[in-house]
Amino acid sequence: MKKIGLIVNPIAGMGGSVGLKGTDGEIYKKAIELGAKPTTPQRIEETLSLIKRKDVYFMVAPGKMGKDYIEKFDFKYEIVSTIDEETNADDTKRIIREMVENDIDFLIFVGGDGTARDVYDVLGLTIPVVGIPSGVKMFSPVFALSPSAAAEIINTTGNQFIEKEVLDIDEEAFRENKLAAKLYGYLKVPKNITLLQAKKEPSNVSKSEEQIKEEIADYLMENLEKETLYILGPGTTLKTIADKMGVGKTLLGIDAIFNGKLVGKDLNEKGLLALLKKYNKSTIIVTPIGGNGFIFGRASKQFTPEVLKFIGKENIIVVATEDKISRLECLRVDTGDAETDNNLKGHIKVITGHKTETIIEVK
Amino acid sequence: MNENPYLPAESIIKAAVKGIENVNRYSELKYLNELKKLIGKYCDISLDRIILSPGSDFLLREVINIFSKDRKIIMVNPSFFPVSQYAMKLTRKLTKIQLSPPCFKIDPELILNELDEPTLLIIDNPNNPTGTILLDNKLVENILKNPNVLLLVDEAYYEFSGQTFAGLIKKYPNLAITRTMDKAFSLAGLRLGYLLAGDCFRDQFSDFPAFLPRPTLFAAIEALKNPEYLTLNINKIISEKNRIEEELKKTGIKVFPASANFILIKSKVPGFAKKLMDSGILIKNLSEQWLHGFYRISIGLPEENDTLLSIIKNI
Repeated sequence: MKKIGLIVNPIAGMGGSVGLKGTDGEIYKKAIELGAKPTTPQRIEETLSLIKRKDVYFMVAPGKMGKDYIEKFDFKYEIVSTIDEETNADDTKRIIREMVENDIDFLIFVGGDGTARDVYDVLGLTIPVVGIPSGVKMFSPVFALSPSAAAEIINTTGNQFIEKEVLDIDEEAFRENKLAAKLYGYLKVPKNITLLQAKKEPSNVSKSEEQIKEEIADYLMENLEKETLYILGPGTTLKTIADKMGVGKTLLGIDAIFNGKLVGKDLNEKGLLALLKKYNKSTIIVTPIGGNGFIFGRASKQFTPEVLKFIGKENIIVVATEDKISRLECLRVDTGDAETDNNLKGHIKVITGHKTETIIEVK
Repeated sequence: MNENPYLPAESIIKAAVKGIENVNRYSELKYLNELKKLIGKYCDISLDRIILSPGSDFLLREVINIFSKDRKIIMVNPSFFPVSQYAMKLTRKLTKIQLSPPCFKIDPELILNELDEPTLLIIDNPNNPTGTILLDNKLVENILKNPNVLLLVDEAYYEFSGQTFAGLIKKYPNLAITRTMDKAFSLAGLRLGYLLAGDCFRDQFSDFPAFLPRPTLFAAIEALKNPEYLTLNINKIISEKNRIEEELKKTGIKVFPASANFILIKSKVPGFAKKLMDSGILIKNLSEQWLHGFYRISIGLPEENDTLLSIIKNI
């Protein structure tokens, strides 16, 4: 019997119809004032109506966060925790923690990017999840394409899972009127991801994603030059490389390595420039983040135009799994400076394995 | 599967049946030579440059077997996926060039700049699944002038595109072309492929065994002797293809021009292929290996195409 956690963010998506960019924090009150109606009930009920598996037992959040929907169906379930009339992100996190204590095998959550962040804060990469899309913002490729696709994922999920990004609006960029996604972390999702938003997972590769990342790491290790500062961008591929080197890299930050030693951790622009000036030779290694293929300007804003001008295109190495790169139309840059963007445009080689590479256009 | 919806002429099916009559016997050399002569005439190429095989994918794999040991391989992505998987397994180094919308073309300079070491370049022209013509004479000759490079062009859809580089085989020893009778000739179930080999390839294939089953051999001979049905079937497919393209455009689906017996489309409808599959129509969902939202649709019989269109209009 699979123990499935079910949690619904009852206010997710309410902002969309009234022109708000989400309902995080106190904004949802404004959404209600503007006449917004909940959108989550029909979405979760659609998914539940299509779940055919009999070997599932639900651990559900109380009331409008779960129980109100599941009680209309014939599933076996028990309620976890309690809630007040008004709920918020802390309730989501608290209830998921209790579900983990109750040994759930899998979590279904209904919401948007904000909810995905809350889920990530508690679960990280420990328990697999699938998101039922119901939010205003859904940058993260952890959501099923639709409520019915979510049901199919649950019906067919086996034991194979992969990591996908948790992305959300970069609030800082948003205040400057730029819509940009920021990487917050990774969640584990089922491998049968045709039904997930954004990109799909291996059917054209026989090796696992982890094996390929190891291969990329091996290739880089063999080709690393001495007396060169290597600056590693965010992402799990680069974390694998750093792990292989025995260096404790941050998952989401930018770190620097010189002759096998960590010389900078979670660097900002100032820190990067200081290191670039200190060392004679430098190389940036990055991987595209998210479904749109951004290598600079979205999840790694620390790579400012000034940093990139200092480095030069010839000293940039892009790495990605074959599977990820073959699903991108192009790589993208959006540094905020047209000249820097233009210098980075054109074709670039992406290392995709120990003996494989893909040439792709940067736009 | 991308197949021809039309049966070959009746005489070809009869020839295949005749091939079964003496099924206890191996194919005789005289029939193999007769088939080579007919292919030679069809392609305007000398017999000694023709290598026969049960399906062109065997030939593509054999070329990779023979030539990948001390060369890097360059292919485009997407391409004929089983072959690119095979190349990845065997080669010392594999470089893929990603084809991207809206044109799916390759930059000639980009290819020429990659040829700085011994290379086997494999390009399907037109490309499957985009249907794009990737090569022209100028680029092909510029590639072939580099003696370090072997160029293998897969012309599986030649009869639909009308474009071939067979005329350059004699001039350039480093050129080879694969063709198939699976598609335009409606013989997918009998499997007949052939290689048109420049000198470098011909020498290496001198001991390649031509194991062709008798029904395949007899049917292929009859098809090349009486190819009138070929033109008729191609015209019917192209006319249906044009009709489907026009109808799909009316629904707002993005249709990309393809020089083959299929159509490349982009749909934003979530689970598009699944919805068609639920109604009994199978299309190739390219997001499994390439870009999200792209699908290859093979042209079927008119009534099948009508069903396809009516389902799509209601999605």
